[in-house]
Amino acid sequence: MFKDLDPILHAQLRLAVMSLLIGVKEAEFTFLKEKSKASAGNLSIQLNKLKEAGYIEINKQFRNNYPLTLCKITRKGVEAFEAYVLALQSYTQNPES
Amino acid sequence: MHDKELSHEESLKLISSMIGQAKDAYHDTGRGAMLWGIVIAICSIVKFTEIHFNYRLPFDIFLLTIVAIIPQIIISAKEQRNRNRSVKTYDEVFLKYIWIGFGIAIFLLIFINNAVFQSWQPVAKEYRELTGNAPVFQFSEFVPAYFLLLYGLPTFITGTACHFKPMLWGGIFCWVCCLITLYSNTETDMLLTALSALVAWFFPGLLMKREYQKSKRKESADV
Repeated sequence: MFKDLDPILHAQLRLAVMSLLIGVKEAEFTFLKEKSKASAGNLSIQLNKLKEAGYIEINKQFRNNYPLTLCKITRKGVEAFEAYVLALQSYTQNPES
Repeated sequence: MHDKELSHEESLKLISSMIGQAKDAYHDTGRGAMLWGIVIAICSIVKFTEIHFNYRLPFDIFLLTIVAIIPQIIISAKEQRNRNRSVKTYDEVFLKYIWIGFGIAIFLLIFINNAVFQSWQPVAKEYRELTGNAPVFQFSEFVPAYFLLLYGLPTFITGTACHFKPMLWGGIFCWVCCLITLYSNTETDMLLTALSALVAWFFPGLLMKREYQKSKRKESADV
């Protein structure tokens, strides 16, 4: 019996963001934009979806008079990501079932 | 990158690629390691020449380590400012606290040594007055061993945590020298301390700097 894949994570950009954040303490918006090669607008929308799901925290502040957006994965986000990877593994290990 | 749905294989590929990219986000410039390697080596070699050629500087050469805190602060501030890829990795945070803890431990060790010297001096004086001979036990002969023991610890942890073998071996080298200094005279101890500082910090720092420059060039080429 396969588990359903989390629809929040099963999208290219949101999965890329979560995969980047899972290995770091926190990352700036610019880092996520550079690594995911996404447009700023699309990235903002997807980050908000992840935030609404409680998977990430977004902290907006200022540095040298410039706005700074810091993103951090939450405990709920880590658990969801782990569950998503386990579900994916079960699909790839038993592709015919 | 868009918000498209992925196949299972694509998802796994994407996860592994992004995790790999985040892992490569932190590269130490190696400047701090080079600075401390050269400072400790200079202090130890000067101390060696003081003992070997029987002269005394008007100040303790190891006070240079306190002066070296200033360039270290400048290096750290500059590195913080120049970081254009703004991400904080767990390794980076963990190592920062390991080295801050090491710095605190070194200064505590200096205070402990001074306290032991002050307690030991009256005993040694009394022994000299009673027997006419210098005491056989000289605490100062064991001091380099304590320092080398401490030098090895954060170096070894950094080497293992970052999979950076030159530092891992540098840490082990410090501990081997620590054992040797228990059986050698103070002159040799100073040379071993200088050698440890070069092997554990200066040369790995050079390699780190080269890796850092390589990653910077790669970054510029990608842009």
